[in-house]
Amino acid sequence: MASFRYALRDTFRLLFRHWGLSLLTLLTAASVLYILGFTALFALNVRHMVSRVEGGLVVQAYLKKGALPDDLLAKLKAIPVVTSLKTISPDEAIERLRAKLGNQARAVTLLGENPLPWSVEVSVTKAEYITPLVRDLMIFPSVEEVLYSGKLVERLSVISRTASGVSGAILVLTMVISALVIFNTIRIAIYSRKEEIEVMLLIGATKTYISLPFVFQGLLLGAGGALLAVAGLWATYASAVAAIRSSLVFLDIIVNRQVLFQFFFLLFSFGATLGWICSWLAVHRFTSRAMRPR
Amino acid sequence: MDIRLSGVTKMFEPDIIALEDLYLSVDKGEFVYLVGTTGSGKTTLLRLLSREYLPTRGQITVGDKNLRKISRREIPFYRRDVGVVFQDYRLLPNRTVFENIAFVLEAMGIPPRIVQNRANEVIDQVGLWRRRFLNPPQLSGGEQQRVAIARAMANSPSIFLADEPTGNLDVRTSEEIMRLLLSVNAAGTTVIVATHDRYLVDAYRQRLVELHNGRLKRDEHRGRYDIDGEL
Repeated sequence: MASFRYALRDTFRLLFRHWGLSLLTLLTAASVLYILGFTALFALNVRHMVSRVEGGLVVQAYLKKGALPDDLLAKLKAIPVVTSLKTISPDEAIERLRAKLGNQARAVTLLGENPLPWSVEVSVTKAEYITPLVRDLMIFPSVEEVLYSGKLVERLSVISRTASGVSGAILVLTMVISALVIFNTIRIAIYSRKEEIEVMLLIGATKTYISLPFVFQGLLLGAGGALLAVAGLWATYASAVAAIRSSLVFLDIIVNRQVLFQFFFLLFSFGATLGWICSWLAVHRFTSRAMRPR
Repeated sequence: MDIRLSGVTKMFEPDIIALEDLYLSVDKGEFVYLVGTTGSGKTTLLRLLSREYLPTRGQITVGDKNLRKISRREIPFYRRDVGVVFQDYRLLPNRTVFENIAFVLEAMGIPPRIVQNRANEVIDQVGLWRRRFLNPPQLSGGEQQRVAIARAMANSPSIFLADEPTGNLDVRTSEEIMRLLLSVNAAGTTVIVATHDRYLVDAYRQRLVELHNGRLKRDEHRGRYDIDGEL
């Protein structure tokens, strides 16, 4: 208990006695986490927009005259990527036609008996699943015809795949870079106290006793940097949302507060964890090397 | 704790022999001067005893511990029983005299009140009571040396190692330091002092061990300094 109390006291001593280095580490952590958060938010929004467009894509399967949709529905329900299914009866179809024709709706009565078949509207999670679904539908015995926007689907598939790949790669790269930058900044801070640590080891301090203040310090600086980054991102995103809403209305960006809170909490946790792990690694490496008998 | 060295050799890369086939026994509570010319192996021997170095050959036992066999986890606990005064003091410049001494005790997980009492006690013992809130750079060389001695004796170690504790100090300050070391020894602690200080060795005669080129040259009960090649 006493050791823990000393560690806490030394954490603040380290932070304030070497305030210049602490401030530098804090600002470095804040900057890299801001860049990471910005990249992640951008990637999330790209993904969100693509998936909104993808979710709106519908495949229409028209059945053969007299065929019922039950078998087809059973098959489609078993496909995991299918997000919604809607059956349209011949009566509904003719009502839709009437509504579309407006003033000329009377022409429909000239048809006599309703010639329209049953049809099924299918939505899937991603554009890339549409082509295989269409292929499956075409060979289904009761399906007469399948309608979908082929070219749009292909383009969206490419855009979706590229967006996922590029944003994922940038995100991983930014995460690695931020981890390296924070690790090195903390390592420099630890090396600046090299003599202090060596003396501590020589007078019989354990590795844990020496490490704890540095680990707490890393945790605090990581969390502090993440808080600054979150505040900066919040302000940037709020002004971006306001600007987009006034001039680029067609852009469907994330405004759900719960999603944003979750995102910022994740970024904060990431910053704190990164600070903790980096400082632990740096001090562990240093003390292990210093303790090695020559 | 008694100290036994049997056939200890310490070599450094590429093929520098710092100590060679050294046999030495120091009983509990003894006071030993370690003398010899520069490069004779005095500091290496002290560093072997504080487990900074491992012997290339031979065995060192301190009490019931074989220094070659103690694990890394045990090293801090062993070092707590060995007070070391370094040649260059190695005080923490950003901490006060009090903090420099207290942190040895804190590292052992001793509760704050006991730490405060013990640190104040040793500060008083080395005569630095009025300087306890100053940082090392604000102290004279002799005062810094006394802080280093106070730090080494704070946790009442069984063995006390001092590397040139009076180097660069005037005669009066050296005598004060010497009296401190003798008081540490009087409390039952084994004291080993590596020194070049002819005046002190001859004035306060104790067991004297002389090293020459890493080998034991002399081991006398109440020896005089008399080193070949030194005035």
